[in-house]
Amino acid sequence: MKRLGRFLIALAVLAVLSTPALAQDKPAAVISPEQLAKVRAGNDECFACHSAAGITHPQKPDLDLKRLRGLVRDADTFYGSDHQRLSCTKCHNEGYDEHPHAADAKEMTSTCADCHDKTATAVSKQFDRSVHAKNLADTFTCTTCHDPHLMRQAAKLGDPHKIVAQDNRVCLGCHDSDESFAKFAPEKKTRPLIDEIHDWLPNARAHWKAVRCVECHTPAVAASEPISHQILGKDQAERKCLTCHSADSSLKTRLYRHLVGEERQRLGFANSVILANSYVLGATRHALIDTLLMIAFGVMLVGLLAHGAGRIVARLAQRKNKND
Amino acid sequence: MTDREYLISPWIRIWHWTNALLILILGTTGISVHFADPDLLLVEFSLAVRIHHAAGVTLVAAYLFFVVANIVSGNWWHFVPKPPGILQRLIAQVRWYSFGIFRGEPSPHVVTQEQHFNVLQALTYWNVMYLLMPTVIISGLIYLYPEFAPDQLFGFDGLLPIAMLHYLSAAAILLFMLSHIYLGTSGKTAGSLFRMMFTGWHERE
Repeated sequence: MKRLGRFLIALAVLAVLSTPALAQDKPAAVISPEQLAKVRAGNDECFACHSAAGITHPQKPDLDLKRLRGLVRDADTFYGSDHQRLSCTKCHNEGYDEHPHAADAKEMTSTCADCHDKTATAVSKQFDRSVHAKNLADTFTCTTCHDPHLMRQAAKLGDPHKIVAQDNRVCLGCHDSDESFAKFAPEKKTRPLIDEIHDWLPNARAHWKAVRCVECHTPAVAASEPISHQILGKDQAERKCLTCHSADSSLKTRLYRHLVGEERQRLGFANSVILANSYVLGATRHALIDTLLMIAFGVMLVGLLAHGAGRIVARLAQRKNKND
Repeated sequence: MTDREYLISPWIRIWHWTNALLILILGTTGISVHFADPDLLLVEFSLAVRIHHAAGVTLVAAYLFFVVANIVSGNWWHFVPKPPGILQRLIAQVRWYSFGIFRGEPSPHVVTQEQHFNVLQALTYWNVMYLLMPTVIISGLIYLYPEFAPDQLFGFDGLLPIAMLHYLSAAAILLFMLSHIYLGTSGKTAGSLFRMMFTGWHERE
């Protein structure tokens, strides 16, 4: 048992050490279970109002419930997010200790770059070339897409279906909703219907369940690099099906980039880590079955041609015998 | 006895060539999507997918027509090998394709109004039309509506067994098609059976 305990501790240390550099620009402090309990007890005070229960059972008689309804957060979702070990006041710091909160408390809220400075620098360069920067540079912030109360890094989510659901919810949240789209879109710009602009793509809705919008709407990056924040508009987005639908599928460096290390060609299937989640035509083939079938076709063709040639030769010989 | 007789009804001929065209389209586009590779000369992927879908749905309609018309017209009876001596006739037919045909011997099966197919044909056509075709069609329909496929099976996407069934049964149909086209030359002359499938008139050997 002691050995098992040591092994588990070693695994935990390895897991912490192997966290990608971009995950947190300032390394996350190791937090003990006692400290975590303290953090969560502090957060409970915030969730007392900023939760569904806080609306149904207001903590104070004079609360603006209509406004509060827009500020409700789900504790379970937050505790499943990347920021699950942080106290609310880590970001919502000055002015939030008491209620009513200070009038300028919102302005004092930390920005993403306060912790993720290196990432923010790299991302902002990509974002500047993004279709979102074209018209929306002033209104777009990290949190427009990345809700810090619920987002989870792809590598930590692990399951591609969960990654797709989380990330596409972000894009479709605006691009499949007139109300949300209007909040950001320039005046007079109407929302293009998502099905119409993707009508060139066979089984578009099936794609959105299996892959992220960003698989096509971001430029290719090196396998070691995270997905770019340079969101591409429809004119620049990927339209070549074979980018994903071929043996050398780009999904390996995109949605499945954190799983490719586990690729074992299971039961002889190429890209079996992809196949565990989605049958991707052209990408998840079985080399041996393909080869055997090609041999079968080859044998059939050669056999038929030989049979035909034999008949012709026999017919000619019979004619010759008759004439003789 | 005249040297030719009217044998094949118009509906069979129309269905046969419709089916043949669809199989060729489905085969070409199916190969293009399965072996998708930028270095190979294949039909462009999204175009191939669209054509495959449209031709696949048409094949469902053509197959349903075939099954119903086959029952109503009684044509299905030709697909059934009749006793006695099925095995002996089967062996005789295989021997003819293997040896007799080279010696210029007549086929052991005499085509009649009552029995169009020899035993080997009847068995092969029965399996192709009532085993392979339903397999390729049903798996193709599930492929078209993947929500009916299981989510997961043996640690893989549940669509995998459907896709494999579709691929293997389609490959078997294409293999059959090659032999079927070739054996089409084994009539009185190399072109007489092809002519029969257009005109309906069978030329006796």
